[in-house]
Formats: sequence, C-alpha cells, structure tokens
Amino acid sequence: MSAPLLSCRGLVVGHAGRPLLPPVEIEVEPGQLWAVLGRNGSGKSTWFRTVLGLIPPISGQVERADALRIAYIAQRMRFDDLYPVTVGEVVRMGCLERWGRRARGCYDRIERALEATGATALRDRTFRSLSEGQKQRALLARMVASEAQIAILDEPTAAMDSVAERQALELIDEVRGRFGVAVLLVSHNLAEARARADRVLFLDPDGQRVVIGSPREVFQDEAFRARYNVGAP
Amino acid sequence: MDGSTPSLDDLRLALSLFRDPILCAVVAGAVLGYLSVLVILRRMVFVTAALTQSAGLGVALAFWLGIHLGVALPPTAGALGASLIAAVALTVTGQRLHLSRETGLAAVWLFGGAGAVLVGSRITQEAHDVNAILFGSAVLVRPLDLWLVVGVGLVVLTGIVVARPALIFAGFDRDGARVQGVSVRGLELGFLVGLTAMVSVCTRALGALPVFAFAVLPGATALLAAPRLRLAFPLALVAGASSGGLGYLLAFFLDTPVGATQAALALALALGAVPLRLVRGEAVGGDG
Repeated sequence: MSAPLLSCRGLVVGHAGRPLLPPVEIEVEPGQLWAVLGRNGSGKSTWFRTVLGLIPPISGQVERADALRIAYIAQRMRFDDLYPVTVGEVVRMGCLERWGRRARGCYDRIERALEATGATALRDRTFRSLSEGQKQRALLARMVASEAQIAILDEPTAAMDSVAERQALELIDEVRGRFGVAVLLVSHNLAEARARADRVLFLDPDGQRVVIGSPREVFQDEAFRARYNVGAP
Repeated sequence: MDGSTPSLDDLRLALSLFRDPILCAVVAGAVLGYLSVLVILRRMVFVTAALTQSAGLGVALAFWLGIHLGVALPPTAGALGASLIAAVALTVTGQRLHLSRETGLAAVWLFGGAGAVLVGSRITQEAHDVNAILFGSAVLVRPLDLWLVVGVGLVVLTGIVVARPALIFAGFDRDGARVQGVSVRGLELGFLVGLTAMVSVCTRALGALPVFAFAVLPGATALLAAPRLRLAFPLALVAGASSGGLGYLLAFFLDTPVGATQAALALALALGAVPLRLVRGEAVGGDG
C-alpha cells in the first residue's frame, strides 16, 4: 500500500456553518480512481471544492502529501468562453506557477501532454470552438502538463453523448495508467463508475449518509440502491 | 492660424508646442490599449468607467481644496486617491453588501460624475481646467504629467506583460488557477491597482473621456480583428497609440475637441474591425 497523497480526516462540508453531510474519512493513493456519486444537489461539488481548499470546511481537515500537485477540471460552464484561447495556450496554463512564470521544461511538458491525450491536432483551435469531448481532451492535456499527482474532475462527461463519454473515460484511464495520476471523478453514469472505479464515495445528504468502499460494496448498499432506484444485484 | 483649415506647415510650426501632448496621448493610448484587452475579457469595462469618473472628481476636488481651503493637493494625487477609494468601494459593495456588481458600479460612476460637476460648479477660477479634465479638451500637457504618464505607464505595462499568462489563466478558469497555486487574488488586485494608477495619471493629463475610450475600445478592436489572443495584445497597443496620436493630429486639422476626436477615432477603429470578425467567423461546438 502506497502512502496516501491526500487524506480527509473527519471532513465535514457545508455552507454558512451548516453541515451538509456527515464526516468523511478517505485516503487517496497514487493511481487510484475514485468515483464520487450522488444525486443532483447532494453536495458533490461542495465536497470537491472543500477538498481543494476553495471553501473552508465546517470541521475536520484535509491532509496533503508534501508538495502535492493537484489539477482541477471544473464543470464545463465555469470556463469563460469570452477568452479566445487556443488549446496550446490552455495546455500551457498547466505549466504556470504562482505569478505566471513558466515552470522548468514547460515546452517538453506541453508536447508530451498534447501527444499523450491525442490533442496535438487541436493545438491551434480556439477552446471555445471545440466540442465537449475535444474540450475534455484539451483539459486533460493541461492536467498532464501540470504534472499533477491528483486530478479532480467535476462531471467531465456532462453534455456528452454515450460514445463521447466512453471515449473520454477511456482517455482518463489511459492518462491515469501512463502517468500514475490519482483521479477523483464525479459521474452520473453508474455503469461506467462501477466498471472503472477502484473506490466509490457515495454522498447522500437526505439520508445523512456517506458510503465508502469498493464499487461492489457501495452498489450493494441499501441507501445507495434506494436513492438510485436500482434492484438487487 | 487665421480660421481656415490648418496646413502641414502650421503643424510643423506648432510641433514643439504639441510634441508633449502627442507623446503623452501615444503613451497613454498604448498602455491603456494593452490593458483594455484584459479590461474587456475580465468584464471590467464599467469598472474602468467608474474609475475614470472618480479620477475626474479627484482632480476637481484637488482644485477646489486649493482655491477654497488653501490645501495644496496635486491634482494627480487627487485623481489617484479618488479612484483608489472608488476601487475599494467597488470591491466592498460586491463582497459585503450582497448587491449586484452593476449596482455598485452605477453608484460609484454616478458619485464620480455628479460629484465632479457639482465641485466644478463651485470653481470659477479654474473652470476651464476642470472642463478640460472632464471632457478631455486639454490641448497642452504639463511636463510633469507627461513624465508621470510615461513612468507609471512603463511600470504598469511591464507588470502586466509579465503577469499576462497568469491573468488569462485566472480569468479563463479561476478555480483551476487557484488550485494550481496561481495567486489569483493577488493578480486581480495588482491589475486593479495598475489600472487605477494608469487611469488616474492619464485622466489628469488628458481628461476622462479619451482615457475611458483608450481603456476599452482598442481592446475591442484587437479582439475583433486578431484571430488569436496573443496577437490581440500588440494590436490593441498599436490601436490605442494610434487613437491617441492620430486623434490629436486629426483634432488639429479639423479644429475639433481633442479628447472627443481621440475617442471617436478609437471607436471608428473598433467599428472598422467588425467586418474582419464577421468574415473570419469562428465555428463553435466543434465536430465531435
């Protein structure tokens, strides 16, 4: 068992001092794929944003390995389409440091990221002109260029058809396998989550439950089955 | 000049007089033009309007203090102080009072505009100067104002050129930039302070109207005309500098108010770029 990259210790998330979910205890190890599941409004984005340090926790803490590099790919509407940035420029963002200085080896990292994600041909296209699948490809390339050890992807396959979704998830698997990146992924596709994830985190604010385990364990949980209205396995 | 249209010889004769204001307009137009790309992309057009109006009020207040209370406050300091207060007020209204951003912008813009007119109405001795600052009809520029525009412009431009990739990242994907460790709040504050400083010194030298035009329209021209963002910045710099310098010359030959002519030229360049954008087009949504 590898040392965890990121640990949540009794992490309670919420808004305005009001907890949304019970405490969460998880440890994310290198190369793992975590599927974060929950119905709409279950607090998945709040949980992610708290883990990322974008909003403060109600209680508990998030422990990170030393010098941990995290990449975050937000929901698609959070990218500002007013910016006519090209895919090459988006990928280059992965190399930027605190005040905009480029990290060492930036150009090699960009080339490697474009090649690894099959985005080389998109390099000169503007990001806003791409399809959802191509946008995810570009954002994954940015993630590779950042040399992140953990990638947090908030509904990366929303607005994709089933074929594009499968291709995007295959690409995520490929990048994860090649670069050893741990991935935390919000998805509404239960079948894909069950097939691909190493671990599942199910958030249920209505029942005030958090279920953590292997896909098999979580998919057998009664609360999970009740929320998703699925029959016995 | 005898009332007829000025000739090139007239310009040559008067060039020593007009050199500083032309240089000042070119530098102000270039720097503000460069910033204007980010002003538009960061949706700060009306922030700039409110800052410019507030700078005008600060200059008027500095004159008023000097005339009525004997307080020797340099007008540029008045402009900088008032626009910094406006910048803080804009930040506070958005974050603390839970009002929409537009409400705060409107309040600051009206406070600056109405305040400048009201204070200006109490100044008889310097009425021409106040008018020139509000409407940008100043024909001449004092050497100190020129050097302030050049000095502040160089510092601001250098800072923005260096921080440009991170500013674009922070605007395009704020959360992604924060998670990656980019100092988003520091960059945003730095940009606002730089913009405020540049607007303040330029408003004192050239007037509020052309400064607002330089801080918005060259960016629009460049974003319409340039196929890529990296080309938009140098293009906006050239469009701003041209609006400032050529606008001044046009005003000389057409015998029109300087600031209004510079603003009109900046607008004409932006309108001229519209067909380029329409012809170039840009598919949105991709091909899967």
